[in-house]
Amino acid sequence: MKDTLLDTANKIVGKAVEAGFDESMVLVEDKRESMLKIANSEPSVIQFWDSVKLKIYLAKNKRIITVEVDASDPSMLDKPFEELINYAGRIMESPFYAPIPEPVEVKPLPELVDDRIIEYMGDPSSLGELVIEAAHRERIDYVAGMIDLSHREKALVTSRDGEYYEESTGMTAYLRAFAGEDGSGQWSACSTKLRRDKLEEMAETAAKYAFDSRNRVDIEPGVYDIVFSPMIMGNLIGYIARMASAFSVFMGMSIFMKAKPGEKVASEKLTLIDDPHNTELPNSTSFDDEGIPTKPKRVIETGVLKTLLHNTKTASKMNTVSTGNAGWISPHPWNLVIPGGDYSLKELISDVRRGLLINNNWYTRLQNHVEGIFSTITRDALFLIENGRVTKPVKKIRIADTFPNLLKNISAIGGRTYDIRWWEVRWPTRIPYILARNIHTSKHII
Amino acid sequence: MPDEDLVFYTLKQAGEMGASYAEARLHSHDTRHILIRNGTVIGVERSISKGLGLRVIVDGALGYASTNKLTRESLHNLAERAIRIARSSSRLIRKPIEFSEARLGRVDYRVSPAKPLDSLGIDEKIKRLQDYWSIVNNSVHKAKIPVFFLMYNEDVEEKIVATSDSGYIHSVIPRIGLFYNIVVMDPGRGSIQRWRQLGASGGLEWLDKFSLEEELRREVGVYERILYEAVSPPRDRVDVVVGSEIVGLIVHESCGHPSEADRILGREAAQAGKSFIKPGMIGERIGSEHVTVVDDPTIPGGYGYYLYDDEAVPARPKYLYHRGLINEHLHNRWTAKIYGVESNGSARAMDYRSEPIIRMSNTYFKPGDHSFEELIEDIRHGVYIKSYMEWNIDDERWSQRYIGLEAYLIEGGELKQLIRNPVLEITTKSFYSAIDAVGKDLRFYAGTCGKGEPAQGVPVWLGGPDVRLRNIRLGVAPK
Repeated sequence: MKDTLLDTANKIVGKAVEAGFDESMVLVEDKRESMLKIANSEPSVIQFWDSVKLKIYLAKNKRIITVEVDASDPSMLDKPFEELINYAGRIMESPFYAPIPEPVEVKPLPELVDDRIIEYMGDPSSLGELVIEAAHRERIDYVAGMIDLSHREKALVTSRDGEYYEESTGMTAYLRAFAGEDGSGQWSACSTKLRRDKLEEMAETAAKYAFDSRNRVDIEPGVYDIVFSPMIMGNLIGYIARMASAFSVFMGMSIFMKAKPGEKVASEKLTLIDDPHNTELPNSTSFDDEGIPTKPKRVIETGVLKTLLHNTKTASKMNTVSTGNAGWISPHPWNLVIPGGDYSLKELISDVRRGLLINNNWYTRLQNHVEGIFSTITRDALFLIENGRVTKPVKKIRIADTFPNLLKNISAIGGRTYDIRWWEVRWPTRIPYILARNIHTSKHII
Repeated sequence: MPDEDLVFYTLKQAGEMGASYAEARLHSHDTRHILIRNGTVIGVERSISKGLGLRVIVDGALGYASTNKLTRESLHNLAERAIRIARSSSRLIRKPIEFSEARLGRVDYRVSPAKPLDSLGIDEKIKRLQDYWSIVNNSVHKAKIPVFFLMYNEDVEEKIVATSDSGYIHSVIPRIGLFYNIVVMDPGRGSIQRWRQLGASGGLEWLDKFSLEEELRREVGVYERILYEAVSPPRDRVDVVVGSEIVGLIVHESCGHPSEADRILGREAAQAGKSFIKPGMIGERIGSEHVTVVDDPTIPGGYGYYLYDDEAVPARPKYLYHRGLINEHLHNRWTAKIYGVESNGSARAMDYRSEPIIRMSNTYFKPGDHSFEELIEDIRHGVYIKSYMEWNIDDERWSQRYIGLEAYLIEGGELKQLIRNPVLEITTKSFYSAIDAVGKDLRFYAGTCGKGEPAQGVPVWLGGPDVRLRNIRLGVAPK
C-alpha cells in the first residue's frame, strides 16, 4: 500500500501546485478498524470501517487553506481546487503562516505493527468473550464496554519534496462493570499490540471496583485529600495537555496564557511528558503532520513548564522551534506519560488521614479556561479514606476546584503506571495513581 | 454507479448474503469553515465526506460496516464484512436483536434556504465576521480583549437511506453555525470567558436572525462590568429565575438524555451512562404541573431538523415530560420492539461512518404565560441567571451543576447588581419540582450533542423560556 498512498499524495501535491498554490502538503491515511461494543454482558453491535482520508494543506501568498476529503473518489477534488484558488485571492494573509519545513530524515520507529491485531480485526468476538468472562469471575451483575482494533497507514508528501510513510496498529478497550444496586467500576487499556493480558486485567479491575463499591453512603462535600486513579487523572491531565498546545494559548483556551516556559506551574512531584516514541502507546509516530521528526519532550518537569506544544506556525509566532506536534493549524500531544514515583497504592492511601479514592469521572467542564476553574463529576467506585485506610464506598461527588490548585497540590505519585484510553481520555496516557491534597469538592444542595 | 444504485446494490447484496434486516445509507457532508482570531483570518477549511454505511441483523446480532471506497467490488466486500462480523458475534448474543414494525417513509425532501449559502462570496462573509471583532474590541473601556476567536461553519448534509423493508428517504439539509470565544481581561481583576455556539438549518438568512452585532456589543459590555462590579452570590435561600439559555441546556441534559430508551436499556452504559429513568416509570411524577418538555425534529430552522429519521421512520414531536410526569421516551426500532411501541423516529447517524442511534433533535421546555417582568415582580430577594459557562451532570442524569456567567441580584422585584459565578447545583427532580412559573418567550440555542462509540456529534437545538424556582440555596464557584 505504501507506494499507492505516496503516489496519491504526490499526485495531489502536483495538482495543487498546478492549480497555482505556492506550497502544499498532503497526508493520506488508509485505515481499517473494527470495534466490538458490549452492553449487558453481550455484544450490542460490531462495527467495521474501511476508509481512506486525504488531508491537504495549501498556501498561496501566505494565505492558508486546508482541505479534508473523507471520500475515495479523486475527481471530487477537481471542483474544490478551482474554488480554493479563488479563495486564496480573496482572503487575507494568515498571522500563523510559516513556510513548509525543509524535509529531514526521519528515523522509523520499530514495533508499531502487530499482525495479531490485523488478524483479530476480522473477528474480535473471542476478545469480547475474554473480557466478559474475566469480569464475571467477580460477583458482578453485568458489564458494558468496547474493544477497538485498528490498522493504519499514513503517507505525507510536501511540495518541498518531503516524503514520509508509516504503518501502525492499535488496540483500545474499556469495560464498565455493575454490581448490586449501586456498585460500578470502570477501567481501560491501550497498546500498539494485541495484549490479552491487559484486556484481562482491565476486566478484573473494573469488576473488583464494582463489587467493592456496593452499598454506598452519602458524605458531605468539603476539602479532601484525593487519591486519583489513572482513569480520572488521565482525564484531567488531558485537559492540561490540550491547554499546553500553543494554539490553545492563542485561542484563549489555556491556563498557560498566564504562564511562560520556565515558570513553576505545578508541584515539583509532577513531570508530564509527551512521548510519541513509546512504542507501546498507540499514537506513537515518527513524524508529525508537517514532516518534522517527533520526539519525547517534557511539557512539565518537576513542576516547571518546560515547553508548549508547537507546530512550525505557532513556533514561529512565539519565536521558538517546532516540537514535532503538528496538526497544521493546532498542535496536539501524541501520547501522555507521567512517570511512576515511589509509592504503592497502599502507601498513597496510608498517607491520607481523611480523603477519597476515586476510580473514574466524566463531564469535566470549565467556567474559565484562562483561570482554570473547573468541575468534574465522579462516576463508578468512590471510597472514603479514614486514617490511612479505605473504610467505605460513598456516593457521587464533584471535584470543583481550579487546575492551578490541582497541579500545585499534587503530593505523591504512585509507582506502577497503567496505559489508559477511553471516551474521556482522548490521548493514550501512561499514568499511575496520584495523590493531591486539599481538593475542593461539591454536591447538589437539594 | 449513480448514488441511488450504490445504495440498492449494497442492500441487495446484504439480503442475498443472509441478513434478516439491512439498511444502507449513502451519507455526505460538504463543509466550509472560516477561522478568525481578533479580526484576522487564520485559515479557511473545506471538508468533503462521502461514504456508505450498511447495518445488518444476522442471527440476532447487529453489524455495521462502512466505507468511502464506493466501487461495486468494495461495496460487495462491505456487505460480506458486515454479515461476517455480525454472524461471528452472534454466538455471544443472549437476547436476539429485533426491530419493530414501522410505517416507513418513501420520501425525497430538502431544506431550501431563504439566502443560499453561496449567495455571498467568501470575502463578503469574512468582512461580516471581521466586523464582529470591531464591535467586540470597541465595547470595552478599561479591560482588554486578548482573544476573540470565531469559527464560521457551513454544511450541506445529504443522505439516501434505504431499508430492506422498503423504507426510502432522500434528504438534503444545509446548516449554518458559529462558535466564538471571548476573553475579557484585566491583569488586576482576572478574566471572564464566554464560549458560545449558534446554529440553524437553512442558509445565510440566519446571519441576520442571529443579530450577533447587537448581542456582542451588549454582552461584552456586561462581561467587563462583571470584572469590576460583580458581587458574590447570596448564600441564603433565594428565589431563582433561570434564564432560557440554561433552561434549554437543562432539559437537554436532564430530560432528553435520560429519556433515550437505549440508555435506559443499558446500551450506552460504558459511555454516556445509564438513566435514572428505569423501565416501567412512564407516568411517574418528575416535576410540577408547569413542566412539559418536547423533542421535536420538525421545527423549521431547527439545528436538529429532520422529517424522517435514519431508519426511515417519520419524525414527530415527542412529549417526554408532560405536565410534570414522565410521559414518553425517545425510541428507535430496536427499543420500540422491546417496549412494545412504535418507533417515534429518533434514530440519527452523524455521518457515513456512524451507526444510527437514538438522539435528540430540537428539545425544549414548553413556554407558559409569564412575561419576564411578571416572573420577577414578586421576588423580594432573588437571583436571575441569564447565561452559563461550566456545567455537568452525572451519568444517570440526576445530579447537575450550572455556573452562571451573566447573573444579577433581584431585589424588590427589580434586577440589581451583577453577581459573579453563582452555582446552581441541584437534582433533576428538585429542579423540575421547584418551578412555579414559566415565561412565555421560547428561545432556542444551538448545540452539538455527543453520544455513541465512536462518539457522534449531531446538531441540536436546546430551548425554553425563563423559569422561576422558589427557595433555592446557591453555591459559589472556586477561585
